[in-house]
Amino acid sequence: MRIIKGILYALALPTLLVLLWWASTLGTKSFFVPTPGTLVATFAETWLGDRMRTDVMPSILRLFVGVSAAIIIGIVAGLLIGSVKWLRALTEPVLEFFRAVPPPVLVPVLMLLMGISDAMKVVVIISGCIWPVLLNTIEGVRAIDGVLSDSAHTYGISGWARVRYLVLPSAGPQILAGVRQCLSIGLILMVISEMFASSSGLGFTIVQFQRSFAVPEMWSGIVILGLIGVAMSFIFQFTERRILRWYHGLREVENAA
Amino acid sequence: MQPDINLETDLSVSGGTETSGAGRIQSDGKAMLSVRNLKKVYQTDGGHVEAVRNLTFDLRAGELACLVGPSGSGKTTLLKCISGLMAPTEGEVLLDGAKVTGPPKKMAVVFQEYGRSLFPWMRVRENVELPLKNQGMAKGERDQLVDEALEAVGLSHVPQSYPWQLSGGMQQRVAIARAVAYQPEVLLMDEPFAAVDAQTRADLEDLIRTVWKKLGVTVLFVTHDIDESVYLGERVIILSSSPTIVQEDLVIDLPAERDQLNTRALPRFTELRHHVYEQIQLAKTGHRPAAAAR
Repeated sequence: MRIIKGILYALALPTLLVLLWWASTLGTKSFFVPTPGTLVATFAETWLGDRMRTDVMPSILRLFVGVSAAIIIGIVAGLLIGSVKWLRALTEPVLEFFRAVPPPVLVPVLMLLMGISDAMKVVVIISGCIWPVLLNTIEGVRAIDGVLSDSAHTYGISGWARVRYLVLPSAGPQILAGVRQCLSIGLILMVISEMFASSSGLGFTIVQFQRSFAVPEMWSGIVILGLIGVAMSFIFQFTERRILRWYHGLREVENAA
Repeated sequence: MQPDINLETDLSVSGGTETSGAGRIQSDGKAMLSVRNLKKVYQTDGGHVEAVRNLTFDLRAGELACLVGPSGSGKTTLLKCISGLMAPTEGEVLLDGAKVTGPPKKMAVVFQEYGRSLFPWMRVRENVELPLKNQGMAKGERDQLVDEALEAVGLSHVPQSYPWQLSGGMQQRVAIARAVAYQPEVLLMDEPFAAVDAQTRADLEDLIRTVWKKLGVTVLFVTHDIDESVYLGERVIILSSSPTIVQEDLVIDLPAERDQLNTRALPRFTELRHHVYEQIQLAKTGHRPAAAAR
């Protein structure tokens, strides 16, 4: 019953928006705004055929590899920098500098250095996605409670056990807040990395449609990007709720008190 | 308030006390825990802060000693030095003859802040089990110790709860169970019941006496509560105000079987309580034991 209610809530507004869109396109024949029916037909015909294999899947794969690498590198580096005082002092100014550089400006440079390859696109995604994860992990590691840390210390919990049982779970809420940002930046960079010089991918295809005035096709590409974003968000929320069940429970208890 | 009674108690307890600025020392070499000339000075931006000047005392194996002192007398600093979490500026701490340089394996600490000393991402059972698991103890042995410890603190019914789902008193019981399961030779407690309500506190005090008797562990119990120190301890070490030395080392000659109603109603309990109270008041006004006035 609760699940059905949840699904109804989730679908109510999208349905309403589609209805509004449908009503406003009734009787008009704008070249730039297709009707819902046209869009659905175009969507199926454009994406469910060969393009799924040649454009959509490669894009998603690059996104997946880039985001995963950014999360792993960000967490590992963040644990190191957050735990070692001199390393933090050494790296902080540099990190602030690199974080401030907008990743899209790196695309032409990386193209020259790495060629137009999948690796280049993955590197562009990593270069933008890593920062929220890295910086949040550093902050999370630094914010470990002193008493909790002392407790672990007195029971001889050190080294890898400390990371596993104390540092990672304790920094978990902040790390996952970083991962959430990382996902949305990743999607943006996936498209941008494919817009400059590419021969496949969602970004490339959408730009092609724009340039050839294939308006409904272009819209259908935008829809697919939105759907990928929604899917990522759902996967994230599902995972986050499992990992941070303790945290949400603790917060509820604290708020009730 | 009652000067005549104070005078009387002063006389009646003078026999078993040590007032030289140091606590009792085990001369036969049977000390489980030795604190020798311990001094701790913090370096802060505003200059040096001398938290502990010179502390010396011994704990016999299996002893339950309480440490009381006015607030700001460096009780927590002392405990951190004893537990190896902090290095003393001078002096040393010996556990069973070996110098303490980091948290020793034979020692467990129960902190005041129960809400911050248990891992909130682990269930009660996992919290108690973790130190044992970390030692690489076999599952069977581990399970038995955890079961026994939870049983001992009366929490066998909530192993699958998270700590934050429990009341404050129950959380502190979990922390005690974790310490008990660890099988320490010395158990340090840093004002463990300061943040729980009075009724829970009485229960927990009795729990400590029970656990102590059952396990034969050496307990050093830090508190600011005078009644608690007299009720719990076999011995009360009174600290002076900062910079800290031992104001007095007092033997508590109450019967070994104690209970909240009868023990606290004993005339001797009142006498001892008065005496400790008086010493703390003296300490607050800056009075120091004669031999330590240097």
